[in-house]
Amino acid sequence: MSIVTEPFQILKLHRKMSDEAFITMLVTMVAIGLFLTASFLVPNFFQWQNVVNLVTNNWAVISLGIGVSFLLVSGNFDLSVGGIVALSGVLSVWFAQSTGGTNPLSTGLGFPYPLATICALGGALAIGAMNALFVVRFKIPSIIVTLGTMMVARGIAQIITHGSQRNTNLPSEFGFLGNLTMFGTSIKLPVVLMIVLLLIAVFVERKMVFGRITYWIGANPEAADLSGIDRAWHITKLYLFSAAIAGVVGILLASEYQSGFSNRGLLMEFDALVIALLGGVAITGGFGSVIGMFFGAIILAVVTSAATGLVLSPDWQFILKAVAVFLAIVTQTWALARRNR
Amino acid sequence: MTGQQTFTVLSVEELTKDYPGVRAVDQVSFVIENSTIHCLVGENGAGKSTLVKMLTGALEPTSGSMSVNGKAYAPTSPQEAREGGLATLFQELHVVDELTVLENLTLGMEKSRFGFLIKSDLEDRMIKTLAAIEPSIDPTARVSSLSVAQKQIIEIARAASSGANIIIMDEPTAALSEREVERLFGVIRRLRESNVTVIYISHKLDEIFELGDNVTVLRDGKHIATKPLSEVNGRAELIEMMIGRTVFQNYTPRAGIGDKVVLQAQGVTNKLLKNVSFDIKEGEIVGFYGLVGAGKTEIARALFGADPFEGSVTYKGKPVGTTPKEAIASGIALVPEERRTQGLFTELTIRENVPVMNLPRVSKSGIFKARDVRDASLRYVDQLGIATSSIEKHAEKLSGGNQQKVVFAKCLFSKADLLLLDEPTRGVDVGAKTEIYDIIKELADEGDAIAVFSSELEEVLGICDRVFLMFDGHLQEEITNGPDVDIAHILNVVTGGHEGDVI
Repeated sequence: MSIVTEPFQILKLHRKMSDEAFITMLVTMVAIGLFLTASFLVPNFFQWQNVVNLVTNNWAVISLGIGVSFLLVSGNFDLSVGGIVALSGVLSVWFAQSTGGTNPLSTGLGFPYPLATICALGGALAIGAMNALFVVRFKIPSIIVTLGTMMVARGIAQIITHGSQRNTNLPSEFGFLGNLTMFGTSIKLPVVLMIVLLLIAVFVERKMVFGRITYWIGANPEAADLSGIDRAWHITKLYLFSAAIAGVVGILLASEYQSGFSNRGLLMEFDALVIALLGGVAITGGFGSVIGMFFGAIILAVVTSAATGLVLSPDWQFILKAVAVFLAIVTQTWALARRNR
Repeated sequence: MTGQQTFTVLSVEELTKDYPGVRAVDQVSFVIENSTIHCLVGENGAGKSTLVKMLTGALEPTSGSMSVNGKAYAPTSPQEAREGGLATLFQELHVVDELTVLENLTLGMEKSRFGFLIKSDLEDRMIKTLAAIEPSIDPTARVSSLSVAQKQIIEIARAASSGANIIIMDEPTAALSEREVERLFGVIRRLRESNVTVIYISHKLDEIFELGDNVTVLRDGKHIATKPLSEVNGRAELIEMMIGRTVFQNYTPRAGIGDKVVLQAQGVTNKLLKNVSFDIKEGEIVGFYGLVGAGKTEIARALFGADPFEGSVTYKGKPVGTTPKEAIASGIALVPEERRTQGLFTELTIRENVPVMNLPRVSKSGIFKARDVRDASLRYVDQLGIATSSIEKHAEKLSGGNQQKVVFAKCLFSKADLLLLDEPTRGVDVGAKTEIYDIIKELADEGDAIAVFSSELEEVLGICDRVFLMFDGHLQEEITNGPDVDIAHILNVVTGGHEGDVI
């Protein structure tokens, strides 16, 4: 067909804010609002260091949230990330522990540390590949598959650690990465890595074909197929990326604590899911943003830290999370419905 | 019917249904007698489904009245229709696969006390009903182990035992094999013997002659005739009543059809298709015409790599790919049958819908060129006349015609030179229809090859240069369009008649 280039300028380009931008803004404002409210109520809450802590204390969950959010947008769950954190951490310790220790828990494979981390990452990717295999090839619902692999990953970690932890006979450089402080501040490498990952994720999501394909698949898988999108391969990549992030998080946590612990990252998969939902990522797919997920994490952090600093004992944190999640999701649904009325 | 009194079980009086701008059912009056199999026929758009929806309470008539079993009848929901004695066998089945036949039959009618189920004579009654209409089904069998036809029979038994004495069946044989059809017919005849009236809707005229007692013909929303089938003089008369007019035909032979064959299909066979062979030339518009279930969509999907098939299809001399991705890369694009579920990303904007089939064209090293994306959307909005205030509008907020144009824009943006259009104007208003036809012709004039898959005769005869007639997975006949096409013959072929049956 001939290509007309001239007269389309008559169409005005009025840009209404998209629903996604609207929800992200809403989540951001709620996060800031909650922080300010907490600052009034809780003594010493309104401090720069406290803001920094809200982010730095949650670097692991926010990092996991990136992979989980992308998968949710594509219409898939990833509940295996917490298990992968435990597995890759334990593997990195086991591979790096020197041979010939005094008991089974202090005897490892004696790999050089760089090789140990690469192999640990390989273990994480294997779980990711397993997720992709069952979801894509055997078409099993992702919630079931990743619930299974979550237990597989943690189960392997538990066998390697005999249900306890491995923390002896480690090379001296083992604790380096997890405790490296950057730019002469107290901010550690993992936090910087999280920020870099976030920036990359936002760029991929907004500007790259890869990100948009994720939305297309989530919005309408069948139309995506018929539009020539290789859905199976894309979802495979998403699971591998999510597992890779979880693997790195596990390695860094093991390094920070200089131990491999099979219960590390327990319930992190649910926290990652919760912050994504708080941040406006739709559980049905096709909708959401990484920035929203980030502020979802901040909301959760403010609520739990403020309340425990105020009146309640830390035992209340689950209840608080529950209340925050319900309120946030009801508000979002209501706001979107009102907006699109 | 011997020895029984004849009386009216259902009468329809001046029934009318208006939609904005169109009268779907126009002052229809007829009566249906007890214990008969009453067939309802008409072309697509003749008003059959609207009429049935009013009978079952899914739609409210604009004017007119109905009565069932001598009582005034104005249902507002299918439940009310059921209480009035009228049940419907829908095309999609409402059975629970995990339960047994008997549990399905008694579903929702169980008696309970304090939340515990109590035994009643209900089950015995159900077993008797089932045995009366189809003894071969084991009441204790799990429904998931049954065939589609057997599931239908369970629904019929449920309807019959709920006290309905009129059962409407809308195209019940669409998904059945020949043997299953025979079995269903046996059931329907046994229902008639037990004083149930069946309203039977089908496009397959052979079935109507085999099964029916009386027939009502609708055309353009109007009632044409109700009479015993024994007084109908063969398929020819029935078809004549259904068409009754010359199909509006504004086809003008097109110049510019190339000699070069671009697509060649040989012996395409799969689950539904049987040895289908045809070719499409450069700059040509071909049509595939047949009833629902004749295999049109299956051909489109096979050519597009969306469904597997045996046989060979070559496009520009090379075999077509086995995935939509490969098909698009080789220059084939599909406008799917269901635009909302298969063609569009309804929750996304026009801007986000247009580029999806050709991402390399709007990106570099995986990064979008935002300006190109915007320009592409603006260009197609303008070129195809998509009525919208902005390219940032969500596709779901557009009208049917404009949604379809967005799907066209997607395909055109892929730079395809073979367009497969599956029901391109379904659910599109008249104005947009004409615009879409103009777009199709313009594309063909520029050398693209186009295949239109349609169950609307006016559509294929309006724009296609050649028409392939489909029935039951077979490509029956090829017709060159022109002023002297024999419409009665076409309808005869696509309803399962053989050449020479008419006249």
